[in-house]
Amino acid sequence: MRIANSGSRRRTTAGRLVTALFAAALAAACGNGDGGRGLGGRIVISGSSTVEPISIGVAEQFDDLHPDTRISVDGPGTGDGFELFCNGETDISGASRAITGQEIGDCRESGVEYLELKVANDGIAVLTSPDNDQIGDCLTFTDIYALAGPESQDFDNWAEANDLAAELGGTRGAPFARAPLTIIGPGEESGTYDSFVELVLEDLAESRGEPAQTRPDYQASADDNVIIQGVEGSDTSFGWVGYAFYDSNRGRLKGFEIAGEDGRCVEPSAEAIAEGSYPISRPLYIYVNKAKMAANPALEAYVEFYVSDPGLATAAEVGYVALNEEEAAATAEAFQQSRPDGSPSPSLSGSPTAAGSPAPQPVGGA
Amino acid sequence: MRKEALIRWLFLGTAALSIVISALIVLTLARETFTFVTQVDLSSLWSEGWFPRRDLYDIRTLFAGSVLVTLVAMVVAAPLGMGAAVYLAEYARPRVRRALKPILEILAGIPSVVLGFFALTWISPEIVQRMNDEAALFNLMAAGIGVGLLVTPLVASIAEDAMKSVPTALREASYGMGARKVTTAVRVVIPASISGLVAAFILGISRAIGETMVVAIAAGASGGSLFSMNVFERGQTMTAAMASMAGGTDAVKGAGLTFQSLFFVGMMLFLLTLLLNMVAGRFVRRVRQKY
Amino acid sequence: MNAASRTLTSSPEIVRARLQGRRFDAAGFFFRLLLLAAMFVTLGLLALLLFDVVSGGWGVISTRLGDFLTGKLGITAARAGISQGLRGTFFIGVFVVAIAFPLGVGAAIYLEEYAPHSRLTRFIDVNIRNLAGVPSVVYGLLGFAIFVKALRFVTGPESNGATVISAGLTLAVLVLPIVIITSAEALRAVPDSLREAGFGVGATRWEVVRSHVLPYAGPGILTGTVLSLARALGEAAPLILVGATTGYLSEGAGYSLASLQERFTAMPIIIYTWAGRPQPGFQEATAAAIVVLLVVVLLANTVAILLRNRYEKRR
Repeated sequence: MRIANSGSRRRTTAGRLVTALFAAALAAACGNGDGGRGLGGRIVISGSSTVEPISIGVAEQFDDLHPDTRISVDGPGTGDGFELFCNGETDISGASRAITGQEIGDCRESGVEYLELKVANDGIAVLTSPDNDQIGDCLTFTDIYALAGPESQDFDNWAEANDLAAELGGTRGAPFARAPLTIIGPGEESGTYDSFVELVLEDLAESRGEPAQTRPDYQASADDNVIIQGVEGSDTSFGWVGYAFYDSNRGRLKGFEIAGEDGRCVEPSAEAIAEGSYPISRPLYIYVNKAKMAANPALEAYVEFYVSDPGLATAAEVGYVALNEEEAAATAEAFQQSRPDGSPSPSLSGSPTAAGSPAPQPVGGA
Repeated sequence: MRKEALIRWLFLGTAALSIVISALIVLTLARETFTFVTQVDLSSLWSEGWFPRRDLYDIRTLFAGSVLVTLVAMVVAAPLGMGAAVYLAEYARPRVRRALKPILEILAGIPSVVLGFFALTWISPEIVQRMNDEAALFNLMAAGIGVGLLVTPLVASIAEDAMKSVPTALREASYGMGARKVTTAVRVVIPASISGLVAAFILGISRAIGETMVVAIAAGASGGSLFSMNVFERGQTMTAAMASMAGGTDAVKGAGLTFQSLFFVGMMLFLLTLLLNMVAGRFVRRVRQKY
Repeated sequence: MNAASRTLTSSPEIVRARLQGRRFDAAGFFFRLLLLAAMFVTLGLLALLLFDVVSGGWGVISTRLGDFLTGKLGITAARAGISQGLRGTFFIGVFVVAIAFPLGVGAAIYLEEYAPHSRLTRFIDVNIRNLAGVPSVVYGLLGFAIFVKALRFVTGPESNGATVISAGLTLAVLVLPIVIITSAEALRAVPDSLREAGFGVGATRWEVVRSHVLPYAGPGILTGTVLSLARALGEAAPLILVGATTGYLSEGAGYSLASLQERFTAMPIIIYTWAGRPQPGFQEATAAAIVVLLVVVLLANTVAILLRNRYEKRR
């Protein structure tokens, strides 16, 4: 009755291909099993795109010491990072500003206790094109508010900001000459945007009953390179960007001097940022999930390496301003204090041990 | 014959899986879209721009971006694709055709990230900024041209199939009447295959609207953008806005309704392309029935 | 006009015009010119693209190809490599081959060989065509909701579901309709006489399919499936939504099965991320990564196309 019995055991071409590929995958799987034993374990890092390069730099060095650890680093932004972090989905969250009250609440709600560690300093440079000879070299926060604050919507000429600047008083750059005003800066998903608003605009905006935000009608980009190109693109442009990106593109840009409360104009520079005399500078943090660190020796070792001298030096290598000695000691101290027994992990013996062994601090409300 | 029945059911299962997938897509999109639509402040859907992290969800901004990119893409893809199709179907000698067709298919296989990079590093500075020296490096025009290049082989291939399905007898009748080749192509073959050509055009539009990476790379889309109709400026499309919200990582999160708005945009994109594909499908079937 | 015809005395158009006792066919000539222009602008842009990418990436390829292929993600362009992207892309390919191919070919066999002319069949058919037109980014949303969120306990409980399993499954679902459509076309091209011959000697439907239809349609099916594999390997948008890692990944578990539940990245994601990196050197690295991806994808495409052409000629 049946025919083609001879063919019943024959497999189709596609079938053979599938089998072959599976075999290849399995062979590859067996080739690389457990290598040397060491600090295995996963470390998931997310958060600020500004802190991302530091965390990557530290991860690269740490991986050389502990090849079995599996680290992944992303940089979606400080706010997005905290959302994941307070959900317990990440171990470390980079932040280009301190955690906000609402985020603290989120973390507390889901029972995430964290350790805040300052790892570097960053400044924001306010920029224009080097060809800009129509606008003065020094700006105050009031000038910037008049140009890019929430009340400056639709100004497309520097001179249009003059009335607002005069009303506010305390300006340095204004009155501005008549020149086209094109504004470009980071999008509001980035920590640089948040910091710019908080450092420069927030106080003025609040005193005038305005929302703490920039004007909406500016070119926003998550890509610092786009911002730099945009600033170059017009002689009388106005923009802002993290100090690192400004520093590595100095020839193409002009950074405004900024006058703080004492009225002294300070140029953006590494020293001025480290000592805090440059008004638009900010500390960079990592936030570490304490419960995960207690359960994961690899995570603890990574953080320990992060706050060690070579770890903290990474910030300078990727273009930020490294902590000075005093700040670095404070960070190392904060880490040691957070340890349950105050002793260094066995993998990294030789690192400084904290004197006492204080109980873990409830940092949740810090 | 239990084995026969079993095999039959097995195959039916694999075919029915597609229905499960469709249902899951619709359910996934519908659930979050419902949350979004019921909770969003409706006035924010018609505001100054698309800033999902600031609770400004102006959908006009995204529609405008998508329409502009699609328009530019079709201005590129329609003449190039249709021209190539007419040439391959009516003019090219068989040997030339056999050589050229695979090259077009290779173009169709180029990943969209690659076209995005090309749009950013070559099309924008060498074409767009020469066209308009005020154009930004990242602009909708370059993205549109890149998308057009991506869509061209698709348009060409569907259009050529449509023209090839016109019976040779029609052409011979035309030549027999003493018509020239150009007359035969323009007055006989193109009208006879017009449904297929329209389908090619509509499917091209649908593909262009759905294209993500070229726009995400070359149009400089980020957190948000103001409503604008200027193709020489940076901008957002529905697709690029989704990629930018997803943020390159598991950042599919965000304050307020940002997360839900992602699905809301996805739903609109889904419905729009579905509509276009169904219309195009109708035209394709018309060709099939005719010949 | 006269000047034009004088300079073009050798053109076959003119010879034809003379033979037909007509004047030079200007409309025909220009129409043809227009078509040729369309063809060659398209091909020219393709050539330019390849040139742009290869010349951009040549610095990296010619000086440190080995390091580039075996290196990992990082912030220093001069040291960055794509081994992790290649690994992710390899596993995605395995998932597509292992899941989308059998399911897709099975569905095509049902629709072409078994399905009755019923409403359900028509519905399935229309549904598959519409699925093929759904933008890839929407599949990303599906993958995020189903594989990353709902099935996290399978796809990677320790990695929040943002793993190569989720990515592979998402892309397998994405290409499934394409596999079905191309396989169905190959099956439709099988002459009915072949089937009738099988039924004539009393074979059951499955026996006919297995021993007559599939061997005949095999090359066509393979071509379609390889083309859809190439499509899957080049997709980036769904991977962004599924949560491909962009910044840094440790070497970790290599190509082991355990690594399937780890965080991942893939070639198109690396290209997307690097294209936006402001640090110097990444534009060159992006171009080099593109060259590698193009070699993989275009090789697959070329094999598929050559296979089909050979097989078409044989018939």
